[in-house]
Amino acid sequence: MSHLPELTPDERSRYEWQLWVRDFGEEGQRRLKQATVLVSRIGGVGGSAAMQLAAAGIGRLILAHAGNVRLNDLNRQLLMTTDWIGKPRVESASRRLHDLNPHVEIETIAENINDSNAAELVSRCDVAVSAAPLFAERLLMNREAVRQRKPLVDSAMYELEGRLTTIIPGRSPCLSCLYPEPPPNWKREFPVFSAVSSAVGSLAAMEVIKLIAGIGEPLTGRLLTFDLRDMSFRTVPIARQLDCPVCSALSP
Amino acid sequence: MKLRVQYMAQLRAVVGRAEEEMELSEGGSLADLLNQLATTYGAASSHFVTEARQARPSLLIVVNDSAVSARDAATTVLHTNDVVTLLPPIAGG
Ligand SMILES: [Zn+2]
Repeated sequence: MSHLPELTPDERSRYEWQLWVRDFGEEGQRRLKQATVLVSRIGGVGGSAAMQLAAAGIGRLILAHAGNVRLNDLNRQLLMTTDWIGKPRVESASRRLHDLNPHVEIETIAENINDSNAAELVSRCDVAVSAAPLFAERLLMNREAVRQRKPLVDSAMYELEGRLTTIIPGRSPCLSCLYPEPPPNWKREFPVFSAVSSAVGSLAAMEVIKLIAGIGEPLTGRLLTFDLRDMSFRTVPIARQLDCPVCSALSP
Repeated sequence: MKLRVQYMAQLRAVVGRAEEEMELSEGGSLADLLNQLATTYGAASSHFVTEARQARPSLLIVVNDSAVSARDAATTVLHTNDVVTLLPPIAGG
């Protein structure tokens, strides 16, 4: 672990309570400090994931999200503040995360993931989190993560339900294995409580922390679905599609 | 034979319920069930099947505790008391 960055006394103190986590410890914290995580969209789900990752001490966060804060973002986009309505979302997010943990480097991209930025953004991260409200963006992120063999946590919600899976290209099914066509009936505006989107985002952040620190069992080859209407949680095994146009050429 | 069908996410609003019992002829397949649902909920048929009446490729389907790919719907034979959960694609962020 000599190649990992050292913790300063201030960091050791800040993270003291998580250094007590079994199997994590100082080496796990140093791994987080070394890591770069890309978060695609920092709305209800991705914003909460970014907040958890900043609190945990990820070294560098790259946040991609276009547009300005709107009043009706504020029921769920916890990185946005009322005084920032009409100004760029990524600026509000950067400010909030810096206030939470100044040790984390925050890089902001005031664009959503698209054909011209995806390859470059993915190339600079160790793990990516997908939390865009459009399948086109999620499927693009998936293609790029698979091509560059970067782990990807896909986290989604609708109303009181959440879904999550962790993709390790070549080893577990990718998003195109699950959704071999762009879903025709999805609408980009969806019913949401922050309590639900934040739950999904927090679970996604935990997957990222596990992947980077090398603890626990990642949610690979499994789809977690939950419904907070009756608090039912379910994990279903999912399989790679042998003719998946995105990932079938990769071997483990 | 009697089956239980559970609907998740947008499908609940589309069909107006979270679950229901369905009657399917003996030896019927998952594709038969989806086509029956497409007929029952005509305006929402695209959630269940394509224009060619094939199982919707992006519909996630769980039979009892196993995920079944839509492409295997025609060869997946259902049995009495099976629980079929239909999860339409969601991407809320
Ligand atoms: Zn695939």
